[in-house]
Amino acid sequence: MAEMIRLSVFRYDPEKGGEPHMQSFEVPLLNAGMKLLDALNYIKWELDGTLTYRRSCGEGICGSDGLNINGVNGLACITPIEGLKQPIHVRPLPSMHVIRDLVVDMDHFFDQYRQIQPWLQTITPVPEHERLQSPEDRARLDGSYECILCACCTTSCPSWWWNGDRFLGPAALLHANRWIIDSRDEATGDRLDQVEDAFRLYRCHQIMNCMEACPKELNPTAAIDHIKRKLLARKS
Amino acid sequence: MRTVKEPGAAHSGLSDWYWQRLSAVVLLLLLPLPFYLLTAVYSGNLDQQALLDIIDHIYSRVLHTLLILALIVHAYMGLKVILEDYVHRIFWRVPLIGAMLVIMTGFGVWWLALIWAWA
Ligand code: SF4
Ligand code: SF4
Ligand code: FES
Repeated sequence: MAEMIRLSVFRYDPEKGGEPHMQSFEVPLLNAGMKLLDALNYIKWELDGTLTYRRSCGEGICGSDGLNINGVNGLACITPIEGLKQPIHVRPLPSMHVIRDLVVDMDHFFDQYRQIQPWLQTITPVPEHERLQSPEDRARLDGSYECILCACCTTSCPSWWWNGDRFLGPAALLHANRWIIDSRDEATGDRLDQVEDAFRLYRCHQIMNCMEACPKELNPTAAIDHIKRKLLARKS
Repeated sequence: MRTVKEPGAAHSGLSDWYWQRLSAVVLLLLLPLPFYLLTAVYSGNLDQQALLDIIDHIYSRVLHTLLILALIVHAYMGLKVILEDYVHRIFWRVPLIGAMLVIMTGFGVWWLALIWAWA
């Protein structure tokens, strides 16, 4: 008989009513490298088809299965079962509205992403071919472009919990910085103007939860710090 | 559902941040001095008259003034951020920050008056 894994999974269906609760499951350990997503899939396919969660790539690329796993945010598809304390508590991302079970409403998160205008903005005429960038300038985008917008960082940020209506949160700010440091972008001034008020950027109190939470090992705190230094340099 | 608020209208976060850092540096440099005086008094190296002479000196008064100003600015900025973080209803937030500003200004004026011996 296979070794069993114990899980305790958050369940809530607003349409059916009732209270949110944790439901216990037991899943066999399928193989040595088994990930948490495999266990959730096993539950859905073999035990209880009503369990609802998001996933797509299964490879840590799409960013859709950000969950709170034993109190820490991470991606189910790249979190090994091995090393997780049992029963494994699986909850939706903190501070988010639950649509059903582990699925949360991401609208506000993506609205904030849109607010930083995450696309190349230029005023100079479009060149005949592409806009070139030196290898050094390209290298400066390392550590930013890898973000998959999974929201693990933003939903672990206390400042975003308290002031998420105005504070952009680490993910959006990491992207804001990604465009600020891009040598081809010509809207740096506007981008800095956008975040200079008291809330959108400066609500970050450097608690560093975001950095701890990021499954891609990115450092939004450093990006936020860089924007602050840019603003200071512009003033002086 | 949380709505997205428009950016911009709130006052500059940069200047708040800047004053917070600046006052922190001043505090870091000046705050050890009174403690140094205190230990000198407790260890008996400084009697009352000697202490008064030091505090009365014009340099001491200027440094003292800087210290008290930095202390008030720093405390105001820090407490304001805490109020903004935790008090979300404008009905409470604005009067609380206002009251804090008034109390701290009063305290500062009183202290400066002592330093410059108007009292
Ligand atoms: S460092 Fe800033 S953005 Fe990151 S968790 Fe802390 S307050 Fe939030
Ligand atoms: S910075 Fe990391 S945790 Fe945050 S959204 Fe991007 S990939 Fe996810
Ligand atoms: S399923 Fe795509 S990141 Fe986990």
